[in-house]
Amino acid sequence: MTVQVEHSNRRRRDDGPIHDIGEPEDQDIDEDFSDRLIVPKHATMDATAQAHNFQRDSVSYIFGDHDYTWLPLKQDHESRPLWITEDGHIILEGFSPIAEKAIDFLITIAEPVSRPSHIHEYKLTPYSLYAAVSVGLETEDIIEVLSRLSKVPVPESILSLIRDCTLSYGKVKLVLKHNRYFVESSHPEMLQTLLRDPVIKESRLVGDEDPNSAEGLITGKAPNAKDLTIPGIKKDVQDPNKAEATADAATPATAQGDEEIFAVVGLDRDDDDGENDDVHSFEISSTSVETVKKRCNELDYPMLEEYDFRNDTLNPDLEIDLKPITVIRPYQEKSLSKMFGNGRARSGIIVLPCGAGKTLVGITAACTVKKSTLVLCTSSVSVLQWKQQFLLWSNIKPHQIAMFTSDQKEKFLGAAGIVISTYSMVANTRNRSHDSQKMMNFLKSREWGFLLLDEVHVVPANMFRKVLTTIAAHAKLGLTATLVREDEKIDDLNFLIGPKLYEANWMDLASRGHIANVQCAEVWCPMTPAFYREYLRENSRKRTLLYVMNPNKFQACQYLIRYHEERGDKIIVFSDNVFALVAYARKLEKPFIYGETSQQERVRILQNFQHNPKINTIFLSKVGDTSIDLPEATCLIQVSSHYGSRRQEAQRLGRILRAKRRNDEGFNAFFYSLVSKDTQEMYYSTKRQQFLIDQGYAFKVITNLDGMDQETDLVYSTAAEQLSLLQTVLLARESEADLNDDVEPDADDLTGNTSRRSGGVGGGSVLSRAGGSSIAGGSNGAKRSVGGLKSLSGGDQMAYIEYNKAVNLKEKDKKADHHSLFKKFYNKK
Amino acid sequence: MVKAVKGVVVECDTSVKQIILGLNEKGQFIIEDLDDTHVFVDASCVEQLRYDIDEILNENTYKVEESK
Repeated sequence: MTVQVEHSNRRRRDDGPIHDIGEPEDQDIDEDFSDRLIVPKHATMDATAQAHNFQRDSVSYIFGDHDYTWLPLKQDHESRPLWITEDGHIILEGFSPIAEKAIDFLITIAEPVSRPSHIHEYKLTPYSLYAAVSVGLETEDIIEVLSRLSKVPVPESILSLIRDCTLSYGKVKLVLKHNRYFVESSHPEMLQTLLRDPVIKESRLVGDEDPNSAEGLITGKAPNAKDLTIPGIKKDVQDPNKAEATADAATPATAQGDEEIFAVVGLDRDDDDGENDDVHSFEISSTSVETVKKRCNELDYPMLEEYDFRNDTLNPDLEIDLKPITVIRPYQEKSLSKMFGNGRARSGIIVLPCGAGKTLVGITAACTVKKSTLVLCTSSVSVLQWKQQFLLWSNIKPHQIAMFTSDQKEKFLGAAGIVISTYSMVANTRNRSHDSQKMMNFLKSREWGFLLLDEVHVVPANMFRKVLTTIAAHAKLGLTATLVREDEKIDDLNFLIGPKLYEANWMDLASRGHIANVQCAEVWCPMTPAFYREYLRENSRKRTLLYVMNPNKFQACQYLIRYHEERGDKIIVFSDNVFALVAYARKLEKPFIYGETSQQERVRILQNFQHNPKINTIFLSKVGDTSIDLPEATCLIQVSSHYGSRRQEAQRLGRILRAKRRNDEGFNAFFYSLVSKDTQEMYYSTKRQQFLIDQGYAFKVITNLDGMDQETDLVYSTAAEQLSLLQTVLLARESEADLNDDVEPDADDLTGNTSRRSGGVGGGSVLSRAGGSSIAGGSNGAKRSVGGLKSLSGGDQMAYIEYNKAVNLKEKDKKADHHSLFKKFYNKK
Repeated sequence: MVKAVKGVVVECDTSVKQIILGLNEKGQFIIEDLDDTHVFVDASCVEQLRYDIDEILNENTYKVEESK
């Protein structure tokens, strides 16, 4: 019964119909692209439940369609950990003694939906089954293990789903060997089928060197990982797959029945090793690779791509290895062994929580492939960080790493090397400067052994396609922490990059100390009567501003900052709304970074935050969501956020998961979400938390901050101050409420954004006020910005504000609020 | 002649009171605005008021819905 309750309580994961506000940067998916993307027809399949007639009891109505009381239980169901329902959901009892083994298995064949500590929920999807096949599981093995672990007989619908999805997928591989493309399969009859197709037949190259092929196929030994060592993994574990299998099988079983099950879990990997011994292949010409791939998808034999990097003699090797002191963690090793399981590089996606060392996984993979590598990330800040990480963990020479951003366009020296760039730089189609055009030609002209894609979930699919078509890369690895998108377009990634190879369990990593323990709390701040009155009257855009600027929230924020600064925490405050960000930071006299803050300024603020004991708090807009690496931060306060985006919540949490002090005894990091009570924010907040709740995090609700009423000198404590704040908010332009007017994260590198919206608030001057005494140099050095002749000659809005300062003294906080007449004029520009 | 109206004292938190005040603008039912957390309203409107407030507060709650 427990299970059913769990099931029906499951929160909806997709968007509600009314408040369907996704991520703007996610929605850029090319319209016609989705038509052109050829997805095998099974990909849209879904197991469906059929109606059943059975005795309903008095509580049946609660469960609706999810009443499974009719499912017959097996005799020894108590020792089996799984429930499988007809619509593909698998529910695991996390407390079962063999749960750990079952999790290992489930993670390969199904998508984790929700993983709190005791009950886990997984879902079987065509994509997850594809992924399972791609790492070498066989149809019958999957079915056998499932039925062994299940308390109930595996439903017919599930069996047919598994059969249909795994039958054709992944059996055919496109292998790049010695720089020639081969279509490879362990099932010769499948290749015969393919060869009967005229399109494929045409592109086939018949070589003279295949005398041992009776049917025109080349037969050879399957590759194995025996002589491959992933650097960082201890030498004696040479075959990660085998080692894993033996470990599984060797685990002392507690009961007789369990032993049986383990054997299978362990066995299916051994089987896989044995069966693959003979592979058959035929060669195709490299020019027709795309056509063959497309044709195979149409024929429903989608190909897996593998890169036999060890036998690639054409592309020069890159001298790169992990430094001897670098140790990779068990889960990183596991994820890499999935990627290099058979000694070749598979393309795919690895999902690890933020702060769990995704970068190191990427670097280790690059060290294993040892070919020219292109790394793509989301912003120029992370470009720098990737470079530092490469230098830190590997023995690569500095001159072999090149960066390609709007500021830096370098090439590496020598035949092979690493280039780090951003998605927008590579996918940009607008006019480029001469330098970057030259750089792009360089990128396009060569063959890349390995393409590393950081934060894959944020990149719009059309941008991806552009990247993948312009760059010739043999193996692709996507790294992400949150494989969710509000627009559910995540599935496209499966076919653009590859299947998900590995997904880590957050709770598991936290309990082992790899990521910090986090206390999550939602702080409810009541709206003041005056603010709430206006809230009820205003339209929805202004409402956002009202609940963000709620004076009680201001006070709660100030109180929490003070409390945690006294404890010695380093605090990051997030606000998506730039208007609120600036208002908060100015009022509380803390430095802040947002889209317009220049690169130098950012670096300086971040460095101060890291090293200056006087700067313990910084305010970040959503530019800080991803890839800003601040291991010092131990406390995070969220003031305003992007509607109901689950991904953002998780990314933000990730900022403190990597806390340096995480291994201290009893250390906890704190994650506060400030929410104005009785407003729309409550709705969004609950929705946002879903992802983290599914990962097993619990959110505490704090309705009253202890000790806040004893605090003196809190901001906006008098009614008069609150009223003047309200006035400011009401006078603010409607557009200020927009969360998107901050620079898009992936637009970071496009030139010209330094002077964008220069009529707004002057960024960063607060730093010189807040920490000025301790910073040498000050902030008034030369600032480089791109702008038109008009702005250079002072004809911009800046000058206009200066002029009217005296007149608009009362409206100090809302500079540049133009009369509607002028607005028109400015918009025209 | 003395006119008697039956009334009910409503106790609520400050934000709910703002909702009540807002509703009052549409149809007058508040007899006396007592203080921040109390209002005295027409007894005949209580049921309707209860319904309206629920409606407004529900807009701000994330409902746990069944997946398909």
